Amino acid sequence: MRKKLNYKRMEGLQGYVFILPWIVGFIAFTAGPLIFSFAASFTNYNITSQMDFIGFKNYENLFTADNLFWTSLYNTLYYVLFSIPLTTAGAIFLSALLNQDVPGIRFFRTIYYLPAVLSGVGVYLLWMQLLDPGTGLVNTALGWFGIPGPNWLFDPDWTKPALIFMKMWSVGGGMLLYLASMQGVSKSLYEAAKIDGASSWQQFRFITIPMITPVIFFDIVTSLIGGFQIFQEAYVMSNGEGGPVNSMLFYNLYMWKKAFESFDMGYAMAMSWILFIIVFLITIINLKLAPRWVHYEGEER
Amino acid sequence: MFRKKLMPLFFVLLLILSGCAGFKTGDSKSADSGDKVVIDFWSFWGSEIRRPVIDKIVADFNESQDKIEVKHTFVPWGDIWTKELAAIAAKNPPDVVINDINATALRGQKNQAMNLSRFLEKDDISDRFYEELWNATLYEGDSYGIPFNTDTRILFYNKTAFKEAGLDPEKPPATWEELWEYAEKLDVKNGDTYDRIGFYPLWGVNSDVWMLNSDGKNFFDEDGVPIIDTEANRETLEWVMDWHEKYGANTINSYKSQIDSQQGNPFFNGKLAMYVNTPTFYTQIRDYAPDLDFGVAMLPEREPGSGNTSWGGGFVAEIPQGSKHPEEAWEFIKHLTDVEAQEYWAVKNFDNVANIKAAENAAKNSEMPDKDKVVYQMAIDNMENTLLTPVPVHAPDFMNLVNPELDSILLGKKSIEQGLKDAQQSLEKLIEKSK
Repeated sequence: MRKKLNYKRMEGLQGYVFILPWIVGFIAFTAGPLIFSFAASFTNYNITSQMDFIGFKNYENLFTADNLFWTSLYNTLYYVLFSIPLTTAGAIFLSALLNQDVPGIRFFRTIYYLPAVLSGVGVYLLWMQLLDPGTGLVNTALGWFGIPGPNWLFDPDWTKPALIFMKMWSVGGGMLLYLASMQGVSKSLYEAAKIDGASSWQQFRFITIPMITPVIFFDIVTSLIGGFQIFQEAYVMSNGEGGPVNSMLFYNLYMWKKAFESFDMGYAMAMSWILFIIVFLITIINLKLAPRWVHYEGEER
Repeated sequence: MFRKKLMPLFFVLLLILSGCAGFKTGDSKSADSGDKVVIDFWSFWGSEIRRPVIDKIVADFNESQDKIEVKHTFVPWGDIWTKELAAIAAKNPPDVVINDINATALRGQKNQAMNLSRFLEKDDISDRFYEELWNATLYEGDSYGIPFNTDTRILFYNKTAFKEAGLDPEKPPATWEELWEYAEKLDVKNGDTYDRIGFYPLWGVNSDVWMLNSDGKNFFDEDGVPIIDTEANRETLEWVMDWHEKYGANTINSYKSQIDSQQGNPFFNGKLAMYVNTPTFYTQIRDYAPDLDFGVAMLPEREPGSGNTSWGGGFVAEIPQGSKHPEEAWEFIKHLTDVEAQEYWAVKNFDNVANIKAAENAAKNSEMPDKDKVVYQMAIDNMENTLLTPVPVHAPDFMNLVNPELDSILLGKKSIEQGLKDAQQSLEKLIEKSK
């Protein structure tokens, strides 16, 4: 009896030892700053010279006196609302295509996955050239079909679509997940459906899609969270300015500008908590809705 | 079996690696060579042109005395000031940092940069520099950074094109009206497109530079009251819009992208006859179009007598708050901004320096070819007309509110009157909120 308890304890202890780096990291680098930023969001903290308690003034100013806060929130919501469904559908569509058994499929899979490997500033600079209204490849290609291309990054109505368009280019990352999950779908299901005379669309709609819903769910949750945090794209592609008529002033970019250009750190921290609450609520809603449409294999419905 | 043996090895390796990293950072901080005081100097000058120049200036200083050793650290442009801020917050900042001149007062107010008055009382070096630059470093009368380099905006024009159009190549346009007339003559239209464009004011600079040029007034008056909705600014934007209509958005966009591509700048191959930029743009002409016959001039006046006001910026050397060796840092800053180092920087980099004597020496320096001297002399002469636009401490991010209004006007989404009125109102609101 005693020995068993010891063994269990030992095992527990070992477990903690193994995750110790993470625990230390979490407390020191995540939880600590988190608590600090919450407390400092009620102050006029500017890092170097002041930290006085000012109550809810930051939050009050944000909601009542700051038009740019609403602009940045609108821009971010616009981006999330369009980019998440489009990239998710795009990734599923692409993986369905790449799930076919045709010669050279490995080659295509590699090609479509490549953009996901190339990420960061280099890609944004590349796209700035591609999207150039006068000499860019995108408008040149549109010109072949007689379509006069828009001014993309110079026209406030087209900056966000341009970013979403760019995101579509790198759906390869999500594609990989879907492809893996599609290959895990049992062949017998398709065989049975075929015998019953199901068309390929029906097979896709009623077998493939339901079977990969756990991955869709995972993808939507993580890319929603990521979508709200869009920063780099806007920072690089608008030279940190926020683009024409502030059309690329996303939430995090505005927050960064408040923190590191105006040194209004308390204000920026208040902003980050509002974003945290928004993302938190959306994730909760997602989790609540999940049982309605996500199927796990072998689960009763 | 095999895996069991490998795991501990893996962990040991990890430990060694992490140990290495820790050792390295610890080492670089506490390195002390003998009795010398080591001070850490941060700049963003890492390019193959600038790095050797600043390294030489640092080496000269280190050799000139035996008490202080300066260690130069290159921190990339995108990181340097956020890293500096983090280092100040962590109470372990570098001792000298190169920072933006226009926000010096703001950093003084926020207690990020050290008040330099106590050093200046002992040796006042303020008269080394252009007054406009020096004034930009002041917050409530005290200086928080010492000007290092600067820039201005001048007009480059193609002399060959002038001759072709029947204009006197030694007589650049002096007023906005002349600029327009000259451009009309220089334009070469070919069907719907242009073989040569005379001038477009928003390539190279933004409309705020022209608003500054029109009446010599910034967006804020001496008391920090916003004055953007003015008659002069309205007229300026009308003038800009005239140019915009003259050439049309398509031509403007396609030229703009060529200008952005640097090598393809239409000024190099004569497709653009007049162009406003900083004097250092000359180094690009030197590299990409060495045979171009061009001249330089001050920005034209809005009307005779309104002034050739131009716009400039620059960088200062400052001592971050919490530096452990401010005295030694000050000695180094004095060296950095003294005639010798500044002249060396000016000649090697073809860059405008803040030290007046050094700038004038550089324009006569035998190492500088004659062509370079002409442009450099113009840059110096133009300093008289050059205004800086230090950010107001109560509204450092005001351009976030002004830019979208100016964008809307240029895109035709708002009338000039409405745009300026809205900009004025939102600035007033911003000032009120932050007070």
